[in-house]
Amino acid sequence: MFLTRSEYDRGVNTFSPEGRLFQVEYAIEAIKLGSTTVGIKTPEGVVLGVEKRVQSPLLEASSIEKIMEIDTHLGCAMSGLTADARTMIDHARVTAQNHAFTYDERIKVESVTQAVCDLALRFGESVHDEEAMMSRPFGVALLIAGIDEFGPQLYHTDPSGTFVRYEAKAIGSGSEAAQSELQDKWHKQMTLKEAQILTLRVLKQVMEEKLDQHNVQLAQVTPGKGFEILDEALLQAVIEEM
Amino acid sequence: MNTFVNKFSTHSAVSQLKRAQKLVAADEDEYSDAAWGSQGGFGNMIKGIPNFTVPAVPDPAAFLRLHTDDHADPSCKIKIQHGTTTLAFRFQGGVIVAVDSRATAGSYIASGTVKKVIEINPYLLGTMAGGAADCQFWETYLGMHCRLHELRNRERISVSAASKYLSNLVYSYKGMGLSMGTMICGWDKTGPAVFYVDSDGTRLKGDLFSVGSGSTFAYGVLDQGYRWDLTDEEAQELGRRSIFAAGHRDAFSGNTCNLYHVKEDGWKFIGNYDVSTMYYEGPGDVPGAPGGGYGYGIRTEGRSAADPPASS
Amino acid sequence: MPDMHSLAQAQPQQQSFNPYTENGGTILAIAGADFSVIAGDTRQSEGYNIQTRYAPKVFRLTDKAVLAVNGFAADGNMFVKKVRQRLEWYRHAHAKDMPIRAIARLIQTMLYSRRFFPYYVYNILGGIEEDGTGAVYSFDPVGSYEREACRAAGAAQSLVQPFLDNQIYFKNQTPAPGTSFPRHLPLPTVLSLVIDSFTSATERHIEVGDGLEIYVVLSKNSPSIQGLRDVRGVTELTATEDGERVFVVRRELKKD
Repeated sequence: MFLTRSEYDRGVNTFSPEGRLFQVEYAIEAIKLGSTTVGIKTPEGVVLGVEKRVQSPLLEASSIEKIMEIDTHLGCAMSGLTADARTMIDHARVTAQNHAFTYDERIKVESVTQAVCDLALRFGESVHDEEAMMSRPFGVALLIAGIDEFGPQLYHTDPSGTFVRYEAKAIGSGSEAAQSELQDKWHKQMTLKEAQILTLRVLKQVMEEKLDQHNVQLAQVTPGKGFEILDEALLQAVIEEM
Repeated sequence: MNTFVNKFSTHSAVSQLKRAQKLVAADEDEYSDAAWGSQGGFGNMIKGIPNFTVPAVPDPAAFLRLHTDDHADPSCKIKIQHGTTTLAFRFQGGVIVAVDSRATAGSYIASGTVKKVIEINPYLLGTMAGGAADCQFWETYLGMHCRLHELRNRERISVSAASKYLSNLVYSYKGMGLSMGTMICGWDKTGPAVFYVDSDGTRLKGDLFSVGSGSTFAYGVLDQGYRWDLTDEEAQELGRRSIFAAGHRDAFSGNTCNLYHVKEDGWKFIGNYDVSTMYYEGPGDVPGAPGGGYGYGIRTEGRSAADPPASS
Repeated sequence: MPDMHSLAQAQPQQQSFNPYTENGGTILAIAGADFSVIAGDTRQSEGYNIQTRYAPKVFRLTDKAVLAVNGFAADGNMFVKKVRQRLEWYRHAHAKDMPIRAIARLIQTMLYSRRFFPYYVYNILGGIEEDGTGAVYSFDPVGSYEREACRAAGAAQSLVQPFLDNQIYFKNQTPAPGTSFPRHLPLPTVLSLVIDSFTSATERHIEVGDGLEIYVVLSKNSPSIQGLRDVRGVTELTATEDGERVFVVRRELKKD
């Protein structure tokens, strides 16, 4: 087993005899090193929450950005090599804008997720005579939240380019504990407020530090106001209610 | 820079070059595999930048001139709609944008309900003079890039930057036959701003502009009534009155006037006013209007030489 | 005279690339409250020759959108083909039919991508908007577009449009005291206006005639279906259940 790995885990284009792409599997492992990220879908909207790892008191917590806007109706939270996510999110933004330009309508949540996953699969690939544009798979997983004609939706994407829709999903280092907690507590008719509180509770459980408004970030997508990141005052209010 | 960045960047030198090559190659409809995937057929937008089909002749611009009425030759087949009187000015209370709504193809009035103010986004307006499609298309395209700027920089684009983006864009097609004269109007950190951009590549910052065949008539009224400390009502009335003057004296302008006011919190549509109604009855019960028709024939009724009042 | 001949040969000759011709005909579209009517004649001519008496200019794109093209027939047919191709790609990518507002924008980008080698085509798109209202979008050859209540294009545009302005927008009419003009006309009225427009255009324009095709798009569960009940020779073209419905009505026009 070890032998086959060392033979087949170098090239991103080479399957092992057992039919595995080790580099992709390793990339998925990289996400488990990332900070915990939670997403919850409710009939009122979708909530995203991330843990910011503030490793040093000298670090400016506000500069850590793990939730980003894709368009007014779409948001995204990440876990893993966050630098890789910049490229993916920029691609998602460009795709969303191209769609709006070409069709004068908002892109569907599934379509934008599909676009991100198409990009995720383009490692080691060369088109025509161009050189390959990516040398390795992305080391990041995303939770894409949004609202379209099918209502609020939450998608999970991973480095293999697979995407799945979830009611509630946790990724990152504490994802196993977080996911089982979500499984216990999530119910279909949750309010947005309940989802915000559940997100923080789940994060609190898996975080090593004490949770406060500086080391977590909460965002939501609602039909009325679209994507918004909760500011510290709003966040503090939710923390106090917890 | 790595190739990946180039591939997805919309403003790098490489992508500019690629676009230029596309123009020369005239490879119409060479859709990539991506056409089937999530890109869902963005068509000529597939790379994020539009590319154009060009006829395989030595001088494509001359071909275009021959077949479309580029002002000069109204007899040829493909009649592109032309916009006509537009104005915008900056004052203490923001920016007033006023336009007429007539589109002509030769001497035929192709439409009397054209929207010559293009709502680029909630904070930016563009006006339409010259080729209607050129203005509509590129200003919508500009809107897309303003939004991307906003997402990437977490800050709204300045009017100056937006207008420069547009002027650079049309300059890259210089000599190809684009025709647009536009004012980019908005409110940013510097306050109210108006920039004039045209397809020759001109870009001017200023307080007051009017563009189109009726602009001379509009300027006449505008220059006469313009002050920086105009109230909102006075400014709106000045815009309306200027477009009325152009609609009245220029055959290629008229039908209705569309009036917008840009303030700190974005633009607002003030109203649509019929030019003929303004002549006889005025714009109706709106703030700033003096009451009564704008037409001199109405003002002087019974007092002109031809029709003297009974008392004299 | 051999000298003259050689002289003529020596004279420089201007060659120019002219890929366009005008094929006549007229199209028009009118939007109602919950329906849209799109019509065109079927004569195709080149100069004073009539090439065919049946060349359709109006095409069903989806159950909620119909496109009429006028100008150079070859460009028009190719353009419709390409729009249909893009609609299919969109259906594969996004698992839904393209809304008419999206089709309108798509047509703009498609026309504009030929800004430097235009399609010599005037397009009018008619159909039903997502909110169930009737819509008409009109385009110039390079893609400037606008949503309107009615629009005529083509050879007899200048004959038909003033008639529509008067009958649809009630331009230069004053309502009788105590009454007002309706914002939208009922389907039977619109149908007779369309037929009158074309019979009159046929009388006064040499490039209009032969046949008339009138497409009617009805919004979901539209009561305007009543207006089609008594119309002779209505054919339904609807492809999907429980949505918008498309019908075509054919009429003869004079053939001289």
